[in-house]
Amino acid sequence: MPVLGIESSAHTFGVGVVDNGKIIANEKSMYSIGTGGMVPGAVAEFHASNARSTISSALASSGASIKELEAVGYTRGPGLGPCLRVGLLAASTLAARLGVPLIPVNHGVAHIEVAKHVCRMRDPLALYVSGGNSQIVALSSSRPRRYTVYGETLDIGVGNMLDVFARSARLEPAWGSSVAKVARGGSYVEMPYTVKGMDFAFAGLLTKATSLLGGHSTKDVAYSLQETAFSMLCEATERAMLLTGRRELLTCGGVAQSSRLREMLGSMAASHHARFGVADNALNADNGAMIALVAEKIMRSGSGYGRTGINQRDRPDSVIVTW
Amino acid sequence: MRVIAEGAEARIYAADILGIHAVAKRRERKSYRINQIDTGLRSQRTRVEARILGIAAAVGVDSPRPLLVHDCEIVMSDVGGTTLRSVLADNELDENAVARMMRAAGSNLGRLHHANIAHGDYTPANIVVAPRARLAVIDFGLSEVTQSIEAKAIDLLLMKRSVDPLRFSDFLNGYRSSFRGADKVIRRLLAIERRGRYKTRTLLVTDDAP
Ligand SMILES: Nc1ncnc2c1ncn2[C@@H]1O[C@H](COP(=O)(O)OP(=O)(O)OP(=O)(O)O)[C@@H](O)[C@H]1O
Ligand SMILES: [Mg+2]
Repeated sequence: MPVLGIESSAHTFGVGVVDNGKIIANEKSMYSIGTGGMVPGAVAEFHASNARSTISSALASSGASIKELEAVGYTRGPGLGPCLRVGLLAASTLAARLGVPLIPVNHGVAHIEVAKHVCRMRDPLALYVSGGNSQIVALSSSRPRRYTVYGETLDIGVGNMLDVFARSARLEPAWGSSVAKVARGGSYVEMPYTVKGMDFAFAGLLTKATSLLGGHSTKDVAYSLQETAFSMLCEATERAMLLTGRRELLTCGGVAQSSRLREMLGSMAASHHARFGVADNALNADNGAMIALVAEKIMRSGSGYGRTGINQRDRPDSVIVTW
Repeated sequence: MRVIAEGAEARIYAADILGIHAVAKRRERKSYRINQIDTGLRSQRTRVEARILGIAAAVGVDSPRPLLVHDCEIVMSDVGGTTLRSVLADNELDENAVARMMRAAGSNLGRLHHANIAHGDYTPANIVVAPRARLAVIDFGLSEVTQSIEAKAIDLLLMKRSVDPLRFSDFLNGYRSSFRGADKVIRRLLAIERRGRYKTRTLLVTDDAP
């Protein structure tokens, strides 16, 4: 029987329906940030007014009736408090009305699990790259199994960095895809490159790139910024591949939609005879289907759902993987 | 030449010369990086590594002796032995010996930090347990000469993430024993960990345009 999942950690209110590992609906309403950032209160209000219609359209496109739902999953964190609370409220109301379990899901784990699921991988190393998160993780072999963070950003997430740069360069919309677009055909200007073992840092790169904006063309700066940031991610990931001896590599999260990052990771994986995979863009952007998928896995594992609530800083390595 | 080890960045070849056991560390080209980044990085790290190997030996940290530097290749003395990482992976370990090694690894880092060298990748994979349980530090390509407390604290952070807590506390004891500024760096380590990774208030997003 189907499980419904609600994602609301940031700008997207997403609702997905999964039945036996099959994604049968994935709908969303997206708060448009234009050239500015986002004010959590305003986004939460947006989510609250779109919750009902998004849930209805997900149910309609899934073909399942609301009474068939076996459980409701939602994002516990990480994310913006006010936004997470709307998701929790919608999910708990629905679960209570139907008398079915309410299952909290970690957002990062959901990104990784859904990619692993559609790429049919068994035990990959994952580069999870989104706005606020940039981590290299893999499942531990010791029990209880958890995602171990091998490397991560020492300051800001790579997505945030691209977004802030896009705003400084007055690109519209102010996010990574616009940086990629303007970077096409640029030439390289020297940038600081900061890798510490399997960790990396982006703040210095961002500062430098922003300061070059007046003197160089936006195209060249964007190109150099992107090449440098992705090379850093690739190098740290390569070190983790060798350390963990994994033969499968995946990338997931919003920045995993970048075709340049995919190309670089694919080439790196091939040089180690490892398989590289990435999910469709709809599953790399924030979405409800990944939450439904993990909620279903948790439910089938039959070993408890964890505490209901939200945690703005919920870390993937705090989750015990029971499925 | 015979490849004797392969790291993420470099291949290590056996390269004995004039009766000295030596290895050549060659930073290979990375196909995923554009040439302008790749070439600069490989030669810069090679030069940095050779220079810091020299300083490390001078401040009493066992490390390979640089013999020749050329482009993206260093020839250096072979320190022998196996990495601390593979030693720690062994299940039947003498815990006293491990504690001693962790303290020695800590005091080596203390000496480097005292000399204002941040290693940049100070994990058990870059520490070699040489014959007679002597520890040698290798892989200085990500190192820098710096007074930065932050850079030094990150060395501690990387080690802390790579070993279990008991071993890390032995490590810190060694670190304190050789470096008077240790407590300041340890305090910074705690601050870095407290900072968390999800501190951004106005979270922006990077999904493709709707
Ligand atoms: N001077 C040396 N004497 C003996 N063995 C060495 C020496 N230098 C390197 N090695 C061996 O080669 C391996 C790789 O060396 P090193 O860590 O310098 O390369 P790397 O590619 O920079 O590593 P990383 O994967 O951390 O980027 C070491 O783990 C060690 O086993
Ligand atoms: Mg190494």
